[in-house]
Amino acid sequence: MVVLALVAYPGFYHLLTNSPISAEAVALLPKMPTMIALLYFGLFAMSFDFISGYTGYLSFGHAAFYGTGAYFVILVANGKIPLLPPGTPFMVSLLLAGILAALLALGIGLVSFRLSGVYFAMITLGFSQVMYVFIRGWDYVASNPRDGPTVGSTHSEGFEIGVPYVDQLNLAIGSFSGEEVALFGHTLGTYTTSFYMVGFVVLVSYFALQRIVHSPFGRVMVAIRDNEERAEAVGYNTLVYKLGAFVISGFFGGIAGGLFAGYARSVTPENTFYFLTAGDALLASIIGGFGTLAGPLYGHLFDETIREFLSNAGLGGGLLPYLQQRLGEGVLGTEIFGGLTVEGLITAALNGHAALYVGIVFVLFVLYLPDGILGTLREWLGGPVSKRVPELLRGWR
Amino acid sequence: MIPADPALGVDLALPAVRAVPDLALPTLKAVPVQSGTSFFDGLGQFLQPETLVSVFVEGLAKSAIYVMIAAGLSLIFGLMGVLNFAHGTLTMIGAYLAGIVMVVLVGGATGQWGRILAFFGALVVVFVLVGGFGSLVEVGLIRRLYDRPPIAQILLTFGVALVLEEAARIVVLFYGLQPTSEWQEALGTKPAVLATRHSLGPLSIRGLALFEILLGVLTVVGIWAFLTRTRYGLFIRAGSEDAEMAQALGIDVRRVFTVVFALGAGIAGVAGAVLMWDQIWGANVPLAAETLLPAFVVVIIGGLGTFRGTVVGALIVGMVDAVTTWWFINVVTWTWLPDVAVFLILVGMLILRPQGLYGVEEVGGH
Repeated sequence: MVVLALVAYPGFYHLLTNSPISAEAVALLPKMPTMIALLYFGLFAMSFDFISGYTGYLSFGHAAFYGTGAYFVILVANGKIPLLPPGTPFMVSLLLAGILAALLALGIGLVSFRLSGVYFAMITLGFSQVMYVFIRGWDYVASNPRDGPTVGSTHSEGFEIGVPYVDQLNLAIGSFSGEEVALFGHTLGTYTTSFYMVGFVVLVSYFALQRIVHSPFGRVMVAIRDNEERAEAVGYNTLVYKLGAFVISGFFGGIAGGLFAGYARSVTPENTFYFLTAGDALLASIIGGFGTLAGPLYGHLFDETIREFLSNAGLGGGLLPYLQQRLGEGVLGTEIFGGLTVEGLITAALNGHAALYVGIVFVLFVLYLPDGILGTLREWLGGPVSKRVPELLRGWR
Repeated sequence: MIPADPALGVDLALPAVRAVPDLALPTLKAVPVQSGTSFFDGLGQFLQPETLVSVFVEGLAKSAIYVMIAAGLSLIFGLMGVLNFAHGTLTMIGAYLAGIVMVVLVGGATGQWGRILAFFGALVVVFVLVGGFGSLVEVGLIRRLYDRPPIAQILLTFGVALVLEEAARIVVLFYGLQPTSEWQEALGTKPAVLATRHSLGPLSIRGLALFEILLGVLTVVGIWAFLTRTRYGLFIRAGSEDAEMAQALGIDVRRVFTVVFALGAGIAGVAGAVLMWDQIWGANVPLAAETLLPAFVVVIIGGLGTFRGTVVGALIVGMVDAVTTWWFINVVTWTWLPDVAVFLILVGMLILRPQGLYGVEEVGGH
């Protein structure tokens, strides 16, 4: 169902923005670039939730894997990685980025899993901050490492998702470098193409993670979360399971980072290795549903929608441009008190400050709905949404 | 750019051209001056007595700052087992509050001692306000989560930090200040005694460094005396040893929790007030993350929940920071050296002795 909704989204968006309620649609619905960000960051949030929500070990330094994936892809494209020419297909470098992140997770995990609870969160945070500070100062990765690397002239064409070395089965992604596809008389723009191609990789990853979670391996992960001592007493070597889960999680974190780099073509230390990147994944997981795989995606959708709704004019749909269109100067110029106009209030207190409102929602979720949107919904329906909704509908007939 | 002082510490008397705002651990915002110096020349220079002593004094000043940032965090974790992610945010708010008090009280004509007096007034105001706010947060939010796993408290305080930080950003922007750069007006209220260097024999020492050391010592002595010499301190120590037993003996542990949270928050605010005058830190919104991370490092190195450990941890981190900063300014060109060194101590410590220097293994092992 989710998949169908996401697949239909570009058409839906196109339809609505060209309909009579277009102003409302532009103001309320996330734009296509935002939806692409939703996909790759959603995958990152899923990988974070895979370790944190299922085993109960809060991986606060998860940004390290995202950053590793992102930097690796760009460095390969810039010919900075030995043995890998700039022309390496994106799918290959993406896979290698995931493997590199998985190896990193193995190293960090070997050290960190001697600790638990708060200490585990702190040590992983420590590792990711070391990498963040280091990458910010290392001038091999970029001419100005503080601003991060950009894909240079050695790889001016877009990154292609598809079967490596088979040109017909590849489509390039990116806002400027992506491809346009003509299909059934419609031209899909670069954003839409990128959306489907990134979505494809995310979908495959999601199914893989879903498979693992519902396998015996996933059962043991949940057992560790619920009572680690008991899981150990029953005879499971919990360290192996925790490490395995951490490595898998690191792998998909790296893939998500690689997708981000492939789409955006330039990254900064702040939006990859910085600990608040993991903080965003945490927000998404808690709001969407801690310990549910699809939850983080909804959580991030919520986060992104609010952020975009309260973004500044000129950045696309949002509250202020909509009000400016509909209400006119008279209302917006009304003074509330002390020379403060409605428009001034919105600019000062709402625009660009979505973090405040998302933060409040987050706190409320932690306090009252610790299971998040999806978890609460499941409890309410009495089972996974995809199973219960058809059953309930059948009952109504 | 700021002309880098060959010795440690780039402390200019008054707002000069600002360096680029720094988002990570704040160290010196200076440009390496001599990059060609070889390692052994550098070592020779470093081992000269004057250099060693001035690096030591700088290290003490940094340690004093670190201990003030981390003390509240350590107290709160020690008693309540709550790792307060909003701690840095409280420090940032303290810095702005102190800045407001100073800017209102101090005019161009105010004398040096008047300014220092006003500063101590600001410390009291900040302690009361931020502490009061802390008690509200504890009663209103954190109290609901004591019987949930400790991760819930991390999540909650993380959310509180996000909200407060963005709210601070809104207010700061509203009054036409740049949230990401230091508040220069507040920096300008610093008296000349503290803004200049003083020569002691062959040494020249920043006035502010001495002032910070003084305040750091006062903080440590104050907390230590409170914990060991007062009746309430006894309650707190009893509560952190065994909360249930303390409750059985008639101590209102819930109130003790509130008081400790308020106290920790107040100390965080006071630390912010001190940082407001420091050129390297200053009152700005990113200060929240800049102080939170080193505070974690200090507390973890010392061992979560021991006050003695926090003091020792702050000394270690301060000294390492001072030494590596000296090396980075005078010998090598690796801008990341001080930051990485501090976090490497953290990682090394967690590998060798996860419970910290003085930590007990049970604490945090939930």
